[in-house]
Amino acid sequence: MREIAGYLPDIGETALEMKVLTFSKKGETVEAEIPLLTKEQINRVIEKVKKASEEVLKSFSVSDMIRIIDRAIEQLLDRHSPYRQKAEKLLPIVTGYDEEIIRLGLTSYLKTFRKKGLQRFLSEDFGNPLLLDDFQPCIKGGFSKAIGPNLITHIWAGNVPALPLWSFISGLLVKAGMIGKVSSAEPFFSGWFAHLLVEIEPRLADCFAVVWWKGGDEEREQQLFEQSEVVIGYGGNESLQSLQNRMPVTTRFLPFGHKISFGTVSKSSLDSRKGWTTVHQAALDVIRYDQQGCYSPHLFYVQEGGQVSPRDFARFLASELENFQTRHPRRELSMEESAAAAGWRQREELALFSKPGHEVLGNGANDWTVVYEENPSSFMPSALNRVVKVIAFRGIEDILPTIAPYRSFLQTVGVAASPAELFLWAEQFAKMGVTRIAALGSMTSPEAGWHHDGRFNLLDLVYMVDIEAAAEASSEQFAPYVD
Amino acid sequence: MDQQQNIVIHILEFMESTSSEEKDFNELALRLYTYQYQNNLPYQSFCRQKGKTPRMIKSWKDIPAVPITAFKNITLSCIDPEKAEAVFMTSGTTQGVKGKHFHPDLRIYDQSMTSNFKNRFMQGVDRIRMGILFPTEEEMPNSSLAHYLSLAVQEFGTAESHYLLTEQGIDIDRLLSELQRAEETGEPYALLGASYSFVHLLEELTRRGKTFSLPSGSRVLDTGGFKNQSKEMELAEFYRLLSSALGIERSACINMYGMTELSTQFYDSGNETIPSIKSGPHWIRTRVINPLTGEEMPKGEQGVLVHCDLGNFNSVTTILTEDMGMETENGFLLLGRVQGTEAKGCSIAAEEFIKTASKGASE
Repeated sequence: MREIAGYLPDIGETALEMKVLTFSKKGETVEAEIPLLTKEQINRVIEKVKKASEEVLKSFSVSDMIRIIDRAIEQLLDRHSPYRQKAEKLLPIVTGYDEEIIRLGLTSYLKTFRKKGLQRFLSEDFGNPLLLDDFQPCIKGGFSKAIGPNLITHIWAGNVPALPLWSFISGLLVKAGMIGKVSSAEPFFSGWFAHLLVEIEPRLADCFAVVWWKGGDEEREQQLFEQSEVVIGYGGNESLQSLQNRMPVTTRFLPFGHKISFGTVSKSSLDSRKGWTTVHQAALDVIRYDQQGCYSPHLFYVQEGGQVSPRDFARFLASELENFQTRHPRRELSMEESAAAAGWRQREELALFSKPGHEVLGNGANDWTVVYEENPSSFMPSALNRVVKVIAFRGIEDILPTIAPYRSFLQTVGVAASPAELFLWAEQFAKMGVTRIAALGSMTSPEAGWHHDGRFNLLDLVYMVDIEAAAEASSEQFAPYVD
Repeated sequence: MDQQQNIVIHILEFMESTSSEEKDFNELALRLYTYQYQNNLPYQSFCRQKGKTPRMIKSWKDIPAVPITAFKNITLSCIDPEKAEAVFMTSGTTQGVKGKHFHPDLRIYDQSMTSNFKNRFMQGVDRIRMGILFPTEEEMPNSSLAHYLSLAVQEFGTAESHYLLTEQGIDIDRLLSELQRAEETGEPYALLGASYSFVHLLEELTRRGKTFSLPSGSRVLDTGGFKNQSKEMELAEFYRLLSSALGIERSACINMYGMTELSTQFYDSGNETIPSIKSGPHWIRTRVINPLTGEEMPKGEQGVLVHCDLGNFNSVTTILTEDMGMETENGFLLLGRVQGTEAKGCSIAAEEFIKTASKGASE
């Protein structure tokens, strides 16, 4: 099956070089055909998008934008719509994830971007979203208006389906022209979304582009960076550093590096009735996209003293993962990933000799691994793909020193705890650099208006224009009606 | 100690016999397994975790394979490591830690090396004039390759054999005069050493615009790949250049595949075609496995190599490498290293984390 990926405004070009990326899973193959633009073609796209952003996009009101996005999301949520059906059919082949996981994941994710969610995003960042349409009175006096850039470049990464929508939609809300570069691991979703938007509102046709080039193609990147007001980059620190080094000082760069997240389970959630649910929620966070998200847990700290002991928690988690393997099997791993997952487990098994209280749980096919450790000593990422550690702790103060050195990597903590503990722990984790406290079981679904890596999704994109109070006052003396 | 002596004798006998009956190999492998299980507690704990006690194991293929990184983190020895006659260490490190392979004595290692080398490299010749592109054993006492090459010179080199590496790099004048001498006298000449040194040699010869036409019977042995020590080179290109610079057939360019974690080496029969088929003597066997399940890959499919080396009597017979390979009719193809995995999503991969974290710590 061959499917066109990406989206281009009309640049009056018929001869495009197409790059074909091939994906296969269990005998089914999808070929993504995506335009690889020349330098000149990119230049024309840049011009077109900037112009449309200035002339068309900025003429829309924020409520227009909300309405358009809401309608697009409505279609993507509707399992009868062609776009949704295409996504459900192709994404499992492209990314390798289980079909059900993708179906459920898409729904829970897309729900965030319905009208009410979008309004939440806006009021979270702006208080008064009309700031994006008109000069609005400020409390300090005077007036201010928020202006979105004429060109944002997105460097998307990874294979978590639909993830680029966060920054794509954020850009739309602030009425920015955009060029997005898709990742070769999932080149489709943002292109589909772009086509859908244009079907809903044809006047948006030239306001964005979704393209691809090989990462590190300095010539193409340089050209874009120079002409963009904002560049949003996703990826590992090394590739982000290389992007940053090439960023003109006049371009704002917003890097989102790879992160590490974990769960913390209080003994109060581990009585004989609730304990099982808690384990189930933890397992869900592990199997959703096989821990590939920045918000996915690498390990769980489990408090001692509950009716379910941390060791039992590990064993229950193991058996949950085994159950899920039947219902929602893990993505098929490459030889490299297989070796990494197996190697991780073997290293843990070899370490058992020097750590006699530890346990390594796994099945013969290595579909998942749970390692139990008796005390929080080291903080290391897991090999992902359903590989996780359960570490016993007594008080929160035992955990903090082990995570402290990794401040710049921390993101989400999934918590199962009483209200008092929730706030107490949040206070402590906040000091360590954690930016999101989620409910266990919801780690992989950040809510509308969340602060991604502690930042503002929309506010970081715009610049503010002020009319100072004095300017307003002084203008009065020149009014035709002045006495 | 008696037990160890008996085992050593048993292995030496096995090596001398020409048979490679599955039954005999199996019997000795299982005997070694029981011995190592009993005398190496970290290994025992690893095997028990896998549910594989000696009673459970009927075939050498079931012996739990130890990943080579374990040589860095735990002591894999049946005797007190202090009493080992030789300790070979890996050149690669993880956060500064080298893998260690303890040899109580070198009788088996040396026997394995010499009879295999004689067969695969000497090919009927008793001695040959050798030039060694590697430091001496004295300079690198913990290098298994330095020991291997010194053994080669001692057992199979003529009295005029010599080392060609100085602190400044290759002794190019000596090398040129040796090559010229071989050309003039017609006495076959052998160059042995690390693959990356041959790359330096080729660069030097190109710089000087020199090519040679060595007499027939001359040969080359390279080993170890390029390991960031020289520029990376396609293997086909490497052997093409080597063959044209020295004037020897590509079939006389032998590559040895060895590891610090083994006591036995693999060879190919020249590199006319790439990748060449590697094989070892009857006391080492190789499986190509799926790392997740440990099961053998079907012939013709890629997997990770596991070697069972009966020469490894003191550490562990069976190791899981980080090399990709494919089983063939007469051996296996070596297809490079299993590359580290990059993050697929936006969660951090262990490798990136370690790299960044250790960078942060050293700053």
